[in-house]
Amino acid sequence: MDTITRRQFLKATGAGALGAAAMSLSIEEIANAAISRPLPPGTPILVVVTLYGGNDGLNTVVPASDPLYQSLRPGIAYKPEDVLPLGENLSLNGSMTGMHSLWNRNQVAIVRGVGYPNPDRSHFSSMAIWQSAIMGAAKTGWLGRWVESQPEDPMLAISLGSVLPPLLAGNRRSGSVLPLGGLKVPRGSLASDCIKLAIESQGDNLLQSMAARTMRNLFTVSSDITPILQSPAPAAPDLPTALGGNAGGETNLSQQLDIVAKLVAAGAPTRIWSVSLGGFDTHANERGAQAILLGVVSQGISKFMSQMRASNRSKDVVVLVYSEFGRRVRANASDGTDHGTSGPVFLLGERVKGGFYGEQPSLSNLKSDDLAVTTDFRDIYASVLEKILSTPAEKILGNWKGRTPLFI
Amino acid sequence: MASVAERRRMARLVHRFGFGPRPGEFESLLSKGFEQAAEQYLIAPASDAFADNQGSPVVSDQGRRPAPNSPDVVAYATQKRAQLSSLTFWWLDRMVLSEHSLRERMTWFWHGHWATSYQKVDDALPMYLQNERLRDHALGNFTAMSSQMVIDGALIFWLDGQTNTVKAPNENLSRELMELFTLGVNRYSEEDVKETAKALTGYRVNKTSGAVTYNPRQHFSAAIKVLGTQRSFDANSLSDFLVARDDCALFITERIWYRFVSSMNPLTDTTLISSFASRDIGALVKAIGKHASLDDPNNSMVKSPIDWFVSAARALSITPSKFSNPNSITNYLDQLGQRPFFPPNVGGWPADQAWLSTSSAQYRIQFAERLVREADLSPISTLAANSRLDALANWLAVPEWSNRTKMALNGAINDPARLTILALCSPEYVVSA
Repeated sequence: MDTITRRQFLKATGAGALGAAAMSLSIEEIANAAISRPLPPGTPILVVVTLYGGNDGLNTVVPASDPLYQSLRPGIAYKPEDVLPLGENLSLNGSMTGMHSLWNRNQVAIVRGVGYPNPDRSHFSSMAIWQSAIMGAAKTGWLGRWVESQPEDPMLAISLGSVLPPLLAGNRRSGSVLPLGGLKVPRGSLASDCIKLAIESQGDNLLQSMAARTMRNLFTVSSDITPILQSPAPAAPDLPTALGGNAGGETNLSQQLDIVAKLVAAGAPTRIWSVSLGGFDTHANERGAQAILLGVVSQGISKFMSQMRASNRSKDVVVLVYSEFGRRVRANASDGTDHGTSGPVFLLGERVKGGFYGEQPSLSNLKSDDLAVTTDFRDIYASVLEKILSTPAEKILGNWKGRTPLFI
Repeated sequence: MASVAERRRMARLVHRFGFGPRPGEFESLLSKGFEQAAEQYLIAPASDAFADNQGSPVVSDQGRRPAPNSPDVVAYATQKRAQLSSLTFWWLDRMVLSEHSLRERMTWFWHGHWATSYQKVDDALPMYLQNERLRDHALGNFTAMSSQMVIDGALIFWLDGQTNTVKAPNENLSRELMELFTLGVNRYSEEDVKETAKALTGYRVNKTSGAVTYNPRQHFSAAIKVLGTQRSFDANSLSDFLVARDDCALFITERIWYRFVSSMNPLTDTTLISSFASRDIGALVKAIGKHASLDDPNNSMVKSPIDWFVSAARALSITPSKFSNPNSITNYLDQLGQRPFFPPNVGGWPADQAWLSTSSAQYRIQFAERLVREADLSPISTLAANSRLDALANWLAVPEWSNRTKMALNGAINDPARLTILALCSPEYVVSA
């Protein structure tokens, strides 16, 4: 966007356009509205798990019996007896027992070789591409644009943790965030004063009206879910300080998923949940660190799925797991790997048609030492938008034609 | 009386190039007028009454962690926590109490630029040494800064430079050196990343002291081809080479624009780049501080949690280390997502919309309540109710209150504590308009 259109954009979306909706809200009205409209059973729910740092796909979905795999990465390769067989000469990392048993129940889809043309090896550029689904400078996330395509509702898309990921950012409206320690909403006269501050005002610039709106959402979101989160979640992260931790993400995935499970079970009117785990930037001593992280992912998700089975939502929930890139095929001398290209994407749930999708990138046909991209991630997004979020993909992804038939 | 536009210009000067005014400071600057105020604000004096006498944080080389069940491990861990706390509050005090804010403001900027986290470094001494290095060069010459930073122990350890060997180079540091520290993304090729990694071999870090040693025998000394130039490099000559490129001047100008003018509207005036021709950081900051883009109402910015907290503490006369429970300050900063020495990743902290969330609204209210309990509220409590709103705007350097906020504030006009909490949480204070 050039400067002039950007300025026009800011003017066009200034306070006047936003102020009208917010005039006469009270806590009671908002709480009543929220409680009176739990998500109808049968409505699909998407849980997005972002693995920050670039997860090594070759040591996640492992071609352990391929002699090239063994010879290209001595020191960090897994032996066939140390991994969990999936078929087609591929196996799951040995720490991922929970996800392996879901695979055996046909509830896991693994899309192989996922990426995009001309892979960008910068954490930040590549994550921006994955989260925006736009090549080049982007201001919005693909799910943020979805939020904007829906009627305004702060509970529609919620990210766990205190900072909004670009994934859920929209131009005028974004998803909400939920802190991990439960919410303490102001009470008494301070609360009624804060609600006054949360009204958008004529003179507000774009950021000020957003500041007002987030304050307003605090009362909306929290009055609905505070009772569900009565016991504050434990603050201790479930990971030691792992190597490979300089590329973002949260540390406490299972805690985040636990909160999501409670809220989904309680009927929160939320269609999208976003959680994350960092630490996958394993430039050194990769094997141990990645196995711990993948174990957390696998255990967290399989526990989440079993919590869903105990509720009436297990048929509705789909989990999507991705990272910004895979890693180089050859190990470096620090028993780690540098930034690479494609990697596997996982989808889990009872709506998912289990099995492999896309072609496994060949180790004998590397593109300047890197894995080929065999599936574009936007094929997956397009199918998720159509089948899970019931929205034409064109609305969010432009004229994107590819699809991956992942769902029942 | 200053116009709203004049007040906004001055508020941007004190909130973005400093950490907000102390009581009385904003009025005094307004009476001087922008030109004189900017001259005073945008040039850091050689001496500073607070900073010169502050002393050092209590940090030392702790050596290696004792074995898990050894009798020394508890004392070690206690001291480790104390060192991190000493370092953190030493810096927060310095941000709040320095007579002249620009040097600390720029040190803070560079901390987000060469973003290194204690999360992995795990020792306070190397983080402190890096912090002093950033401060020494904060307004100096970028060639010298970069040359020092590529051999900074904490940075090398953070980006795995100590495991980068001739046999199999580790690209983590070389990529970020070009992408995030000197040139900007896509202003180099993947081949350049692989080649520069070789130039950065041979540096070893003592993790607990932060000391870096260079071993020429472990260094790849043959010529490499970087950005079209074929020659032999070490870390320092590589840094000089990268910093001398035109892309570096563009990139650093873009980064300072992003943090001081707008993260949403891109750099529009490329003539600003020429003020960085000799890589003089101070000259670039001064040029940006006086630039007409800061008159443009569209260039508003959200105060990051540190901006918000430090400017609140300055107005409220709070000394972070003397707070009744200093840990509550770092806990709130954690909750808000921005604690010194813990950037979320090597790209530093996000900007603007990222700080506007339901969750941050919540913690800002709680944090404001907590701060106001130990604040000196005399700049408004001693005044008659009908002059409090204007005094509040000057105290906090807010250009003007909206009708919405006036209504909210008027409801608390007889309660200085509640009035201050609301003002600190108002969209007009949270956003540097």
